[in-house]
Amino acid sequence: MVLTHTTNHTYSHPFPTVTLAFFLRYCSPQLNPFASHVLSTDTISSHVDPTTGRLHTTRIHLKKSRLPPAVMKLLPATLTGGNSDKASYILETSVVDMREGWMSTESRNLNYVGVLSVVERQLYTLPKNRPAAAADSTDVETKVVFRSRLGERIRDRLGEARDRAEAAAESSGGGFFARLGARGIQRSIETLASTKTQDQLGKSREGMRIILERLRHTGIMGVLELTKMASQRGMQVPAR
Amino acid sequence: MSQSLAPECNEVKERYDTCFLKWYSEKYLRGLGTTDNNECAGLFKEYSKCLQGALKDRGIDKLLDEAREDNKENDAALMGKKK
Repeated sequence: MVLTHTTNHTYSHPFPTVTLAFFLRYCSPQLNPFASHVLSTDTISSHVDPTTGRLHTTRIHLKKSRLPPAVMKLLPATLTGGNSDKASYILETSVVDMREGWMSTESRNLNYVGVLSVVERQLYTLPKNRPAAAADSTDVETKVVFRSRLGERIRDRLGEARDRAEAAAESSGGGFFARLGARGIQRSIETLASTKTQDQLGKSREGMRIILERLRHTGIMGVLELTKMASQRGMQVPAR
Repeated sequence: MSQSLAPECNEVKERYDTCFLKWYSEKYLRGLGTTDNNECAGLFKEYSKCLQGALKDRGIDKLLDEAREDNKENDAALMGKKK
């Protein structure tokens, strides 16, 4: 079972600045107030392909879990790993091609994939069919794929014996899975998550926009200075 | 700068991040030095070394392997489609 969402957006900033904002977006909650759920960010690899000139980067973010509490409660500890911290590791891979003018990114959760796998892919490009706009705007297509394999996992774990019990329960009209149905649970998790993601996409865009505005006003060095000062003093950067 | 998942790596991570962002904005985005970000390589090595233990302790190295395994078929399909 899979749910897919595709959205398009245009930033009114040039392509290079937008790619820089992508790398900066979790830089600091002082810089991006919508990044307070991001607990840590680490780069695990970064290199330029010498033949294509493309920059390949892999990062790991630790985010407070976005699985709704209702979903967490439904799940046995064997699936959630019994984690009480409820944080998810997100693997982010990106490729930038400055010569051709595109950046493609992918983010996916590393834990809880048995419950719900969310893969977000974005393609940032120079504006298509509008060469005049190339100097000051950037298109982005975002595609999010939700997949819940909960039912499959439960079947795998409990084996055929349980399947037979389930079938018996189904025929007698009782039993937890018979009532809810594994497919029903999968569907609900996907729907809950996708509704939440629609909200989240708006916030992530708003966060990008704030960073882009700061870059426009103070440039990268200004942004780095602000971030450093703010983290040293532990204070809020005044909003513009 | 954002935190590292391993607090003991925060300091070297911050130095690497700053180096990377400077290189990216001043060189890569301007089409200079696109062969590699060598100037940050030393810092990255140090940062990576610090991070390795943390990735292992938290089982992230295993999660990464699983994700790569899981993705092989998807990647093959995507690579065919991508420019």
